[in-house]
Order: sequence, then structure tokens, then C-alpha cells
Amino acid sequence: MEIAETLRDMGVDVAIPIFEETVEWAGAINSVLLNNPRLFGQAMLLRDKALMKRRAQLGGIRVGIFEEAHERDDVIRFLKRVNQTLLKLDGDPNDPIHVKAFDKAGCLGHRVIRTPDEIDTIPDDEFPVLMESHLDGWEFAVEAWIHDGKIRFLNISEYVTLGYSVFVPATPELEQYRPEITRQVERLIKTFDIDFGFVHPEYFVTSDGEMYFGEVAYRPPGFKVFELLERSYGFNAYHGLVLAFDPKTTEDEIEAFFPKEVVDAKGHAGCFGVYPRRRVVSQLSVPDETEDHDYFETHELTAPLAEKVTKRTAFGNHWGLLYFFGDDPYTLRDLLKRQEELDFYI
Amino acid sequence: MSPLGSGGASLDRHLATLDDATQSLAAASPFGKQVKLSRVLGALRRVLLLPGGCAAVRARAAQLDSAGLFLGTDWARPQILIPSLSGGSLRSANADTVVLETVSDLRLLAVAKGEYVHALVSAEQAFHHLSQVLAINLSLLFTPPTEAERAQQGRMAQVPRELMRHLVEEVGYEKVLENLVDEIWRILRQRPIQVDSVKQMITQIAVARSNPDIDLGAGALGADRLISSIYGTTDACREDPGVEVYRTRLETMDDSALQYETAGFARSMHDTGLVSPYHAVLLRFLLGKGEYHLAEALGLSSTGRECLLCYHELVRRLIYEAVHVETAQCIYGLALLLERGILYQPPVAPALWRQLALQLSPHATERLTQVFGPAPDARARLLAGMLSILGQPLGVGQGDNPTCQSARALSMWSYNDPDYLLQTLAWAARDDEVVMHFEGESISSRDSVSGVATELPMDLDPVSVLIVPHLDRIYAEMGRRCVGRDGDPHRWINPEFHGWWSGRGFRINVDVATGNLTDLDEFLRHFYASYHPFYNKNQPLIHPQPAGVAVTDSAARFVGWHAITILRVALDPQDRMRVYFYNPNNDSGQDWGDGVVVGTAGHAERFGEASLPFEQFASRLYIFHFDPLEPGELASVDRDELDSVIGYVHRSWGADRLPA
Repeated sequence: MEIAETLRDMGVDVAIPIFEETVEWAGAINSVLLNNPRLFGQAMLLRDKALMKRRAQLGGIRVGIFEEAHERDDVIRFLKRVNQTLLKLDGDPNDPIHVKAFDKAGCLGHRVIRTPDEIDTIPDDEFPVLMESHLDGWEFAVEAWIHDGKIRFLNISEYVTLGYSVFVPATPELEQYRPEITRQVERLIKTFDIDFGFVHPEYFVTSDGEMYFGEVAYRPPGFKVFELLERSYGFNAYHGLVLAFDPKTTEDEIEAFFPKEVVDAKGHAGCFGVYPRRRVVSQLSVPDETEDHDYFETHELTAPLAEKVTKRTAFGNHWGLLYFFGDDPYTLRDLLKRQEELDFYI
Repeated sequence: MSPLGSGGASLDRHLATLDDATQSLAAASPFGKQVKLSRVLGALRRVLLLPGGCAAVRARAAQLDSAGLFLGTDWARPQILIPSLSGGSLRSANADTVVLETVSDLRLLAVAKGEYVHALVSAEQAFHHLSQVLAINLSLLFTPPTEAERAQQGRMAQVPRELMRHLVEEVGYEKVLENLVDEIWRILRQRPIQVDSVKQMITQIAVARSNPDIDLGAGALGADRLISSIYGTTDACREDPGVEVYRTRLETMDDSALQYETAGFARSMHDTGLVSPYHAVLLRFLLGKGEYHLAEALGLSSTGRECLLCYHELVRRLIYEAVHVETAQCIYGLALLLERGILYQPPVAPALWRQLALQLSPHATERLTQVFGPAPDARARLLAGMLSILGQPLGVGQGDNPTCQSARALSMWSYNDPDYLLQTLAWAARDDEVVMHFEGESISSRDSVSGVATELPMDLDPVSVLIVPHLDRIYAEMGRRCVGRDGDPHRWINPEFHGWWSGRGFRINVDVATGNLTDLDEFLRHFYASYHPFYNKNQPLIHPQPAGVAVTDSAARFVGWHAITILRVALDPQDRMRVYFYNPNNDSGQDWGDGVVVGTAGHAERFGEASLPFEQFASRLYIFHFDPLEPGELASVDRDELDSVIGYVHRSWGADRLPA
């Protein structure tokens, strides 16, 4: 309350969340600044993965099977139930389930569980968690700038490998779903009552072309997608964020700011998150193969601080990103995939 | 996959990327630049690796500069850049540092050529800077990357070489040589013990001069004296015939021809401080002749000659054991040792006999062989090193090691107490152990775990190579024994570590707990009263005194605390009171910013001394010692003078240390 009033006195019109943890803060502040108490509830909805899924389900959006877990027993039961539903017999390999912390960003605390043993590796302090069935399909993310209830710019980010690499704009194969994706996002906006701002939902397309909602965040995406967009389209995505969040922005300003999706892109920009592949590393060494590629632009890797590589828990954090830019999305995709087989720390 | 260097298409592509990255950097607000920087640096790195990259970057220098490439770094203020630091940047293992230095130099080239008008540097300044950068990095032009450079820098090792080629095409060899020769003379005037890097530079000039493709212009003439001091000092070795030929020539010479040779070498040696390998051949040959020729070959004055005659047997033994073609440089040390007359101090001559007969420990032998190679043997190396350090107490350097305390101690002992230095050397070389006492308790260098330096030093003279690790551990141990005491530990360490003559009185102007300045007025008045002849009844400094200075860079920003020795305070030829001091750093000629430029020659400095006007020195001083039994009245220094000193302090290292 005090922050909100101080900000209002300073002439602030709107608060914009930048990180996951600031979503509810921004919601709380905006409910004061914009005199709309529902904004806080909306922010909470967008922060809690379990609530979010329920709301989506209520809105008629397809989601996978999910449940909340408060202790390890819940996880075991869910794993069994899911595989029972899939008509698996004892001894068949289990279909995995996904376990995610309720309120963390992106891959933080995201684990894939196949056997009950793995459940023991979840630390106590990560509970409660959200459990989801695994969807075999093509996962991708969407970034949508919304103003006055309408989508003003919609980007599709193609994951080459979840947690490793992403590029924009997507390949034509994925872009062909754009009309359907737009419909899905519009439904999402309606369901969540979003008038202005920015959403970052994740979807799966299954082999039969059906689209499943994964989750949605009300803040800029990780993996520097905003930088990739700037590289590709030349507009500052943060600037776009400010325009979209500000209810005072005029229609003309919005029109003038955003380029036309896909056709206005100068090329495809992608990045790759590096994880050391060896247990003991002593130095940073970008392979010549990467360094020499025409598409390679720069990296933000730093020399290792410790020789011993800590074992990754869950999806963990990458050690830095490599940036690529080029004309052909397929070359870029294969290039990003190829990086997974290279050592950047030796 | 298209390999680099496939030609113009690739360069154009990368330039497009660079321009795009530069634009987005320029568009970013100051707090956001950091995020955009890596793309620009990445693009620059790739462009610079391509043929024509340097020219392309130079053409974009102004845009890159104004986009904020250098923001927040030293390169943002080109007027403070120091040419000699460019060597480190260009050889850095960090590719970004190499790129920044390279782009900065290309930017200065654009400024020098009038293509880019810079607010902070003029075309002349830029040109001057570049010619010095070229001079210092000349080796990059002539030599392919060494194994070490390749391992550290990988392909980036080519970038500084490309840069040098591009620069030299524009600046020309003539200017470069002029600067290089100036730089060599500047270093030589400080008479360092270690002259290998100087000799390398001179060798490079000699190589360049013999290459008909390179037009050195008039610059070559100034280099002549340097080259000849090593490779062709006298008539009999003018054409650099090789030591064997020279020896046979000596055998056929009559007395007057020998006289000519001896005078030639002696003049050149005292002139440059460099010793030719032929000089060693001559000196060994003269062992079979009389003392007269020896004295001539060492270029001795009547003092030195007297000393030689008194101790002729010792000196002959020293020459026989220590002077070889590889260790020729110690001849200069021997000559100065004789000139100093320290052989007349009763313990010194016997101590030198001990050193001549000393059995080196296996560890000491191994260390010396490892650092200096197998020939001549470790004992000869050590003897040669000992002659150098005794002859040139102020020529000791700390190398690239954080051991200024130990280097200062060695220098001080050689200067003030050579007997003790020889004793310590015997302990270290024979016993692998040095024992010192701290407040009544003995400290052995063997028992102390670790020193300030984490690695054994490799880039030092033979005596330092053996002794410094011991001293460093003892110094660190003394520090550990002071843990928990209030105030700066040097109060107790310095007198115990350096010698009884270091004053037990101690004054510091920094509050150790907060790092803030304290009692600046009284500190300065006390320093004036202790050291300034106008305020201490004209008493010259008797013993060298350890002191601590706050070293600042050329922008007057604090760099670190540094140990120096105050040697004397006297009026210079311009009648200005100066402090003459020893700086264990390898090059004392440093710009400490705000107009404080440490002199090494031209202000009546003796070889190896650094000097500053009294008030400028006082402004960088933070620790000094004094004799507590002296009256210790504070000097009544003029308010104006005090304010001037305090102004220097407040504008430099004291700027953010003002007490609240």
C-alpha cells in the first residue's frame, strides 16, 4: 500500500512486472494505481500454477491431467494414476510426469519423474508442487503484447530442446499454426480477463494437431527472448512492454510501434544455454566449429569459477548463452541442436 | 559452414552484424549498455580476425566510441591511457580486453589521421601515443605467437599482430624506432639488474635494421649505440664475429690494442649499463694479465682501482668463477661493487670468500637451473647475481610478483648492510632456510606455511629467486602474528623485518578500521619535521627508511598500497626540495596522476632512484617511520604548503576517504 501510494504521488501510472516474483507486487500496486482491486487477484492467478490451470480449464482451454501435491506420497499416487489411465501394466516403463514448483519462473524447480525412486530426490522445501501428465508433442512458447483486450503482436518461440535452446521467429512448420495459436491466446485473454499487458504462455501441439495449454506467465520470458526479438525485428521488446502495459498509450502509438509478425523479421535469432558436460572443468573454450559458423554472433559465457561441476538438480541453470542469427530457420535449428553435442567447458 | 577468411563476402556480413550491434548499443540508455555490449564485442572480435578488419573497424571508430563501447572503462578517457600498459592488454587471455585495446588504438589512429575529431585527445597526442604503443609491442610485428600466447589467446593472438601491421603502415617505422630508443634509454637510466627484456628489444631493432624491406629512416641512427653496446662494441668485434673468433683475435693483440679494447668496453658499459658478451671474453682473457688492464676493462675510478688492488686475489677469483658469456651483465655489478668500496667493511670480503666456496643445496641448484638454464652452472649464476645486487642495490626489481616487501628488504640490505645480505644468501642457498626474529621469537621460513605470493617467482635475478620465497613467508608469518592488534601491522613488522635502523616510531594517516584519512595535518607536520632538511635542522637522512605510499594511476585513482624506501631528501638542481626513493617496482618512472610524475632522471637522481618534489611525495605517503627518541616536535609548516599537499591527497587516493 505504502509503495503504491508513494509511487502514485510520484506520478507513476502503472507498474510493470519484469521478473516472476514481481508479478503479484505489480498486481497489488496496479490495483491501487488503476483503482481496480481485481488486478491483484488476477496477478495471483497468474502466479499460482495450480490456480492458473483450473482457471484455464474452466475457460474451456485444453490442459493435461494435473494435481497438486503436498508431500511425496501424493506424487507417487499421481504417477501411478496417470500410468493406470494410460493402461500400462506393471513392468511397462512408466510415462513420465512433470513436477513444478508452484510459483517459480520457467525451468526452476521443474523435474521429470519416471519412477518412485526419483521422487525422493525432491527436497522438502520445494513442496507444495504441481504435477502434470507428460504430453508427447511439440512444445513452444508464445509472447503476446495485449492492449485494450486485443493482441498487438504475437510471437511464436520455437524450442529446439526445452531448457537448452529457442529461436524466433519459428519455422514455417510451426508458423502454420499461427491462426489457431492466435485463437488460443485470444481465449486465454478472455478467460483471464486481461485488458492490457503481456502474456507468455506455453503450449503443446500433439501429433494430431491438438493444442494443449501448459502454463502462462505475466512477465517477460527467460532465455533472453526479448533480445532475440530485438535482433530479429529491430524493436525493443521492453519498450513494447511499457507501451502495452500503459493504458494511456494511444492506438496510433501502438500501431506505429509493432512490426508485422514474421514478414518484417530481418532473420532468425536463436540462443543456446550452455551446461558443462564434464564433471570437472578448468577453462572456457568455445569450439572453433561454433565460433566459425556464419550464424554465430556472441556468447556471454564466463570462465569457470569452480573446477567441479555441481550436479544439476531439476532443469537447473545454464552457465551462459550463445547467440546466433541467420536467414534460414532450419540451418539455425540444426545448429542449435548441434551445440548440445559440444563441450564449451573443458 | 563457411570458414573465416573466405573473403569480402564474409567481412561484409560480419560488418553488417557489427553495425547492427553498434546501433542497438547506441540506442540503449547508459544503464542498459552492458547488456548490448557483448554482441558488439563478439562482432568486433570476428571482424578483426578477417583481412581488412582493422581498416573497417578504424572507419567505424567514431561510431563505436560514441555508441558507448568504452563506457565505464579506462579507454573511455584516452588521455589517461599509458602506452606501456598496452602490451598487457594485447596479450591478455581475455578476448574482450584484446578487442577493446585494439579498437581503442584504431580509434586513436583515426584521431591521428584527422578522420575523427575527439574531444579529449588531439591528433598529435594520438599519434604520439600510437608510436609508443608500437615501440613497446614491436615484437608482435616480427615474431609469430609463442606457444604460451597460442595457449592463452588461441586465434586472438593474431589480432594484435594485425593491429601492429596496420598501425605501422600508417605511423611508419621511423617514429616507432625513435620512441623505442627513447623508451630503452629511459629504462636503462634506472640501471636495472635484469636487462633481458631491454636486450630483446635491442635485438629486435637489430633484426629490423638488417631487413632490407623495412625502411627505418633516420630512427635507425639513434639505435646504433644501443646495438653496438651488445653486438659490436669495439673495433675487434664490430662485425659481431662470434666469441670464439674474438678470443683468438685477443691473443694476437699487443698492449696498446688491448688498451683500446678495454677502454671501449668500459666506456660503453658505464654509458648504457649494458654489458656485451664480448666484454666477458675480454675480462677472462685479462685474468692472465696485470691489474692495470683489469681496472681499465672495468672502467674504474681511483676508488675502485684502489679497492681492486687491495683485494686483487678475491676479484680475480670472482671474475674466474662468475663472469661467463652468459653472465656478462654481472661485470657491471662487479665494477660498481668495487666503486662502492664495500669491500673495506671488514665482514664483506670474507663473506664473499664464503660465497665462492659455498655448496648449494640440491633445491637451490634445481631452482636456479630451472629458471636460468644449465650453463653456466647454478653456482656461477648465483655468484653473478650476487655481484649485480651488491653493485646495484637500487636495481632490484620485484618482477611480476606481489613481493614488494621482500624486494625492498634485499635492496635495503645490499645498500646499507651488505654483510647481512650475504649471510642471508648463504642461509637460503646452503640450508634452504632463513630464520628471522620477531619480538624475541624466531621465525623459520621453513615452518611458515605460505607467503603473499602463491607461486614461486620465475622472473627475478638469481639472488632474489632464492631468497624472496623465504622472505615472503617470513613476512607473511610476521603479519599473522600481528593479527588482532589494533592498527597497521607494519608498525611492528617493518623494523623487525628490515633491520634495526628502521625507526621504531611509526605514523600512519589512514584509520585501519574504516580506511578513512585521519590526522592528516599532524601526520604531514611530523613527516616534515622528521625528513625535510628545512624543518629538521638540516639533518640529512642517515639510514634508508621503509615507507608506504598509496600508488595512484595516471587518472589519480587509488591502485594499491606499495612499499618503498626513502633514501635521501635534498635540493635538486632547480633548488626544489625532492625526496629520492627506491621503488621495488621494475619501472619507477610512473605517472601517478594529477601532475604527480615520478622522475627517474634529470633531477639529480642517482641510478635507480625515483624522485618527487617533497610536497608531491608527501601527498602519496601514508606510512613512515621515525626515531621515537628524537624530539618529535611537529614542524610549523606554512598553511599554504600544507593545503597544497592536502589538495593533492584529496584529489587522488584520499578522495573517497574523507572522514564523515
